[in-house]
Amino acid sequence: MLRPFEIHEPGTVEEASVLLAQFGFDAAIYAGGTELLLIMKEGLAHFPHLVNIKTIPGLDEIALSTEGDELQIGPLATHWELERSPTVKKHAPLFAEVESQVANTRVRAMGTIGGNLCFAEPHSDPATLLLAWGATLELSSADAQRQLPAADFTLGMFETARQPDEILTRIRLPLLSENTAGAYRKFSTHERPMATVAALLEVKDGMIEHARLAVGSVGPVPIRASEAEGLLRGQGAEEAAFSTAGELAASASDPIDDLHGSAEYKRHLVRVLTTQALEQAAKRAVGAVNEG
Amino acid sequence: MTAGIGHNVPRVDARSKVTGEALFTGDLKLAGLLHGKVLRSPYPHALIRRINTDRAALLPGVMTVLTSTDLQDIDPYYGHSIKDRPVLAIDRVRFVGEPLAAVAAQDEITAEQALSLIEVEYEDLPAATTLDEALSEAAPRLHETDTLRPGLFHGLGELHPQGNICYHHAISRGDLAEAFKQSEIIVEQEYTFPAVYQYAMEPHTVIAAWEGKSVTVWASCQHPYLVRAELADLFDMPVANVRIIVPFLGGGFGSKSYTKMEPITVGLARKAGRPVRIANRVDEAMVTTRRHNMRCWMRTGAQADGTLLARDVRFWMDTGAYADNGPRVVATAADAAPGPYRWKSFQIDAYCVYTNRPPAGSYRAFGATHLQWIGESQVDEIARQAGADPVEIRIRNLLRPGEEVRPGGKLLDADLVGDVQKIATALDWGSPKPPDTGRGIGVGLLAAGARPVSTAIVRMEIDGHATILVSSTEMGQGVRTVMSQLASQELALPIDHIKVPGGDTLITPYDRSTGASRSTTLAGMAVHRAAREIRHQLLEIASQAFEVAPGTIELRDGAAWHADQSLSYSELIQFHFGFTGGELIGRGEVSPGGGKGSYAEGPVFWEVCIGGAEVRLNRDTGRLHITRLVSVADVGQAVNPHLVEAQEMGASMQGLGNALFEEMVFDEGQILNGTLLDYHIPTTEDMPDQFISRLAENEDGPGPYGIKGAGEGALAGVPAAIVNALADIGVPVRELPITPERVWRALKDTEGERDDAWGPPSTP
Repeated sequence: MLRPFEIHEPGTVEEASVLLAQFGFDAAIYAGGTELLLIMKEGLAHFPHLVNIKTIPGLDEIALSTEGDELQIGPLATHWELERSPTVKKHAPLFAEVESQVANTRVRAMGTIGGNLCFAEPHSDPATLLLAWGATLELSSADAQRQLPAADFTLGMFETARQPDEILTRIRLPLLSENTAGAYRKFSTHERPMATVAALLEVKDGMIEHARLAVGSVGPVPIRASEAEGLLRGQGAEEAAFSTAGELAASASDPIDDLHGSAEYKRHLVRVLTTQALEQAAKRAVGAVNEG
Repeated sequence: MTAGIGHNVPRVDARSKVTGEALFTGDLKLAGLLHGKVLRSPYPHALIRRINTDRAALLPGVMTVLTSTDLQDIDPYYGHSIKDRPVLAIDRVRFVGEPLAAVAAQDEITAEQALSLIEVEYEDLPAATTLDEALSEAAPRLHETDTLRPGLFHGLGELHPQGNICYHHAISRGDLAEAFKQSEIIVEQEYTFPAVYQYAMEPHTVIAAWEGKSVTVWASCQHPYLVRAELADLFDMPVANVRIIVPFLGGGFGSKSYTKMEPITVGLARKAGRPVRIANRVDEAMVTTRRHNMRCWMRTGAQADGTLLARDVRFWMDTGAYADNGPRVVATAADAAPGPYRWKSFQIDAYCVYTNRPPAGSYRAFGATHLQWIGESQVDEIARQAGADPVEIRIRNLLRPGEEVRPGGKLLDADLVGDVQKIATALDWGSPKPPDTGRGIGVGLLAAGARPVSTAIVRMEIDGHATILVSSTEMGQGVRTVMSQLASQELALPIDHIKVPGGDTLITPYDRSTGASRSTTLAGMAVHRAAREIRHQLLEIASQAFEVAPGTIELRDGAAWHADQSLSYSELIQFHFGFTGGELIGRGEVSPGGGKGSYAEGPVFWEVCIGGAEVRLNRDTGRLHITRLVSVADVGQAVNPHLVEAQEMGASMQGLGNALFEEMVFDEGQILNGTLLDYHIPTTEDMPDQFISRLAENEDGPGPYGIKGAGEGALAGVPAAIVNALADIGVPVRELPITPERVWRALKDTEGERDDAWGPPSTP
């Protein structure tokens, strides 16, 4: 049951940061509420103060940078908005595709990308994708701002590098080169996915120039499968050893036994999903090159 | 327009439900209403050394704290089947989630805060949290067996509890050893069925108002009259002093059958002297009642050509710490165990076992859901070994109408061969299958109807409108619509002139229960007879008014017609009373002592449980995709075909959930997936690509117009069909649910050395 709390409605990031600094661990940032209110209702956490950042204008903006080289997403953009945004669909279609698969319609309508990343639930779809993508997160406090690679943001289960007085103010997605394509695969039996895999391949003259592979949901945080990435570099995009890469990703992943399934089965799923994601990414990359 | 039986009348409660006007127990506001919360045990088995409620009682806003010491003036044990359960735990707790204290406060938050101020000292006891543990020699005993008393509605003969086995049910026929000796094919295996949660959108909600020598209870309960009897017995008062009012229910499925949260709520209201409301949350509902997990051993024998000869079954059902409806579930499961076939001999031994888990009770199609997939998978295995087609082997061995299902029971009252043929046709049985695609059929019988005691009153008011007083609970199944149609048919009255207000034991007369697919058949028969009494009165009055014989009068569209003369019902009633007031009263009853058909022998009817499935297997992940689900509603005659189809879909989806993913996971008596985040219930995303529902209308039921009940069968039929469809692709199933991981392991094992992937437990 939701216990009483005080809600604060700052008008600027600075005000919000000051409130967060003032209340410390007694405060939480309130955005979509799809994760926060759930744990508060379950009594797993109680915050006497909620800082509602939805009152801060501009934090839901989705736009191309002035240089035109990256997509800049405000933390308050909902999954629903991201999956439908013409800007996202045009410049980062894979991201829109992944957003359309997050949780369910109700969560997508209310839940925000910022909340999803900051909650650091181990089964986050966007977190897996952004790790492979090499996104950068902008964190702001009243008197400072810093940029953090997605890889350094998620530290553990429900744990991020965000300081109590910091607010995630922007997610920066560098646009993929014309000869790069990606794919995302997930497998779910419950509300949250059991295994997620994101693959990005840069293909030049039919050869894989660069591979980026992230595995999520099976462990506390998404991980990069660098050995598999290394294996693929220099291989022909249409005949690469994707199933070997899948095996490498599977052994790199460190699944845990839980209600979703055994570690052994999850490792198997990582192998299957990685192989499928790579095959699809390769097909898309080659297709893009051929079309271009 | 009159809208009698066979019409797809829109639900009479549809508008009020979609607009939010419909009231559920939780919507009701009472002056001075307090909010109750329940303190539940964190231990599966422990002695309560001390409970100190002082600090909780002093919290501002708290009105009352209740423990078992407040109930010492009454006999605080209840349980309709076995009186084994104290209202609040006395001296010891037997499952994680057992209520041991309750608080009533001005609001829910205060009540919940007060719970955290109650100090309890426990002394941990050895626990038996699984069937294996409970059945072992050294098992801790859940109850002193010599103190167990039968409950008010035990109905299964004398109790002979032994150890942790609270009830044993045995059925047999013929010479088993001889029949197996003649068997050239014998299939034998162990199986397990998981604990399942009967999710209803509205968890149990109760409001109780104590009025000195009487009590009024608003409850989300399926069986108001049985709850009334148990509350009157507990609080030692005449039944008429207990008034149960049942608003709409947000789903029941058996989870709200019999007494659940009512005793604690009444106990709190009695002590507080003010009305109290308790509204379970989902995690509390899960430890209030659930479906029995089960272990089963089954052996089936047949001739080389697939002619079935013998079946031997032993199974143990985990009823948790208190019997709840366990004995009846076990007996009904035993009825379902042989399957609907012509056996030379069968023997069923069924055990109801106490464990340190939350109590298990009714859930739609109980017993049949547990046993049918097992029996039907053995029939398919025999078909494979005999080289026979599964449809053909069934048609050859199925019972025909009038044959004995179980010794001393009602003879078969359904055309099972016709039903199987309908399923086969809808599945395109025999047509080529895409790769990794299997098809399966499951057919069985469920002893339905519970006890055939129902009464109803129909009042026709001065304006010619009718009100049906019947205690059937509207829990989503559409019973108010069905009763309206039955009355409309008999009274020749437009449906919007008929009102069905719902159960209130002060006003609506006795009905045994709403469950076991009984309402349309039994309460429906009572309504039909009550309406018919009014029909006769109307004809009699009209014959006086027209001064003609009653036989020359026709009732049509709310009026009596003689040739081209007509008098509305309103005019007839005014003519009869000679005044602009008065009303006609019709009464109807059903009892084992009378009525059409054979109400005296059980069951009231055999509900056909049949399903067909076509599944596609993903060999990479082990995931099953249901491409087609088929059911047949063998209803005698459909009162409202759309409602029947909706019931079939609902039951099929629950069957799909039971088959593919639903399981309450326990670790040392603690539920690990006690919220809907972790416990997956079927949703629209789990729907099959194609759902086909067929009607069988052979007018062979014991209700009015040959009606028999529906709505449960598909829940048992679908898992059996899915299991057989998977076996059709070469994946044997011995444990539900069939999760992708289990299928993947089975696939690995069939590729390898055919090791036993399903790990059935050993027989004790």
